[in-house]
Amino acid sequence: MNDRRRVNGPPGGTRPPVYASLLQSGTGADIRAQRQRQPTDLRKIFLKTGLIPSASGSSYLEFEPSASLAAARSNPKSLIPPSSALKLACTVHGPKPLPRSAPFSPNLVLTTHVKYAPFAARKRKGHVRDSSERDLGVHLETALRGAIIAERWPKSGLDITVTILEAEDDRWWGDVPDSHDASWGMMNVLAGCISAASAAIADAHIDCLDLVSGGVAALVSDDSTDSSSALPKLMLDTDPAEHRSIVSACVVAYMPARDEITELWLKGDSSKVSTADGDERSGHEALIDGAVDAARGAHTVLAEAVRESLQKALGQS
Amino acid sequence: MATSIPSLAIPGQRLGSANTYAAGPGTHVQQANIFASIAGPVILDPAQPNTQSKATLRVSRVLSAAAQSSPTTASAKSKPRYNTLPAVDSIVLARVTRVQKRQAAVSILVVLDETSAPDADLAKASSDNDNIASILTSAANPENHSSTDELRFQAIIRKEDVRAVEKDRVVMEDMFRVGDIVRGCVLSLGDQTSYYLTTARNDLGVVMARSETGNMIIPLPIASMASGQYALPSDWLEHEDALGSSELHADSSRAATAVALAPNILSVV
Repeated sequence: MNDRRRVNGPPGGTRPPVYASLLQSGTGADIRAQRQRQPTDLRKIFLKTGLIPSASGSSYLEFEPSASLAAARSNPKSLIPPSSALKLACTVHGPKPLPRSAPFSPNLVLTTHVKYAPFAARKRKGHVRDSSERDLGVHLETALRGAIIAERWPKSGLDITVTILEAEDDRWWGDVPDSHDASWGMMNVLAGCISAASAAIADAHIDCLDLVSGGVAALVSDDSTDSSSALPKLMLDTDPAEHRSIVSACVVAYMPARDEITELWLKGDSSKVSTADGDERSGHEALIDGAVDAARGAHTVLAEAVRESLQKALGQS
Repeated sequence: MATSIPSLAIPGQRLGSANTYAAGPGTHVQQANIFASIAGPVILDPAQPNTQSKATLRVSRVLSAAAQSSPTTASAKSKPRYNTLPAVDSIVLARVTRVQKRQAAVSILVVLDETSAPDADLAKASSDNDNIASILTSAANPENHSSTDELRFQAIIRKEDVRAVEKDRVVMEDMFRVGDIVRGCVLSLGDQTSYYLTTARNDLGVVMARSETGNMIIPLPIASMASGQYALPSDWLEHEDALGSSELHADSSRAATAVALAPNILSVV
């Protein structure tokens, strides 16, 4: 219901106008984010558990800003940041009794909610969860359900809430939407959600098979040459804002101790890839292997964060 | 084999071979290896002498240093606990939320750790990260209670489970009042909503209560009797100032004797 008595601002946020001439000119090319990392280099991850005292478990995760974003922050040329870096907070409430209406369950009942803060993305999000947020919640639940030992917690529920404070972009903000455009940023967000939720569950002392971590890999078509014959390259931990065209991307939830994947989400065309000599993998296999490698990298951070909070808890008491 | 047990474990960390050790709480077995399933200090419970059993590897849920240093002999004889939920036979502290003719509804505040002594410091109880001392001593507030009670496990004390003797003469209104703290033992996991508790044992019953005017009521020791017409137990005399004169209500279901005792005292004072 609109308020008709006052002159209200626009319902969404507004952005300063950007003219196509700026983007095409030399200055525009400077603004464009470029990947500075090696294809197998991952971004640094900040992860800390136990920051929310009222929750039984919690964690905060942050990705290292890309080089162009860090440069733009220290020396701003434009009002618009060239890319964004993932920031999210995860809380775990429970084990707590099931609601009265719920039937008896001999297992732990897992509920996941993923919500973008209104200011998290370039386009403002509403307060009601939209379909993409519900989608992320379902993916996160699948990823965690395979890792939690649910039969040890009968008759109880576990609520996992992830609040995304800063989301990844789906593409560079200056690009016009085109055909092979998809919500690539969501996949990075999901990988972050999985790692953060896993740390929060460990913080809440819920039994798990392993610390499940999320990783993203993508097949990126060559930026410099526009020839369509060039095969897409495999990149780990892609920031979609840094690439002109992502052909396909894959996110996995992976448990290194058991070498098991609990969640696999693949988008796009993964049929072709340029691999090293002697590498006989198909594009599909290379993509999944790359995502698993990225998840292994995230797992080292995850394990260190959980161990650190454990040592801190032991030291305090 | 026994050399490589880590002192701290995180979920998914391999602790040892299942051929050498038995898997205790906080661990799971995968392909004949024991892995940790929670983060915590690893504790090796030695095998019982003159049995065939293996030493048990477990990961402690309690992080306080005092609980770790305490010998694990108590836990060896009790059943291993895989979670902090109320289980059958666990002792819980609960607050009465509603009293009906046939049953009393309570919400479980804390599951007491069986490994610690019964009168050990309540703050060590591991199930809840709330401040238990403050939960227990805070006055029952019916107005804002609904929100926190939804986060706690609900339980029911049926009329026949209140005490062991004279079960048919139990009057629930005289046994419990809303806000009383009850020490109970879990009979069963119950139905979809509530657990079932019993107080039909000498060490169970109302342990903390407030009178109608809001002052604390202290339960009388079970062994003491109000002998004669005016002689009161020494405990009672000690607390007389704090309690005031007319503030004892007959809701102590601590045991049949205590219930029987209370009306006597009422008439005395």
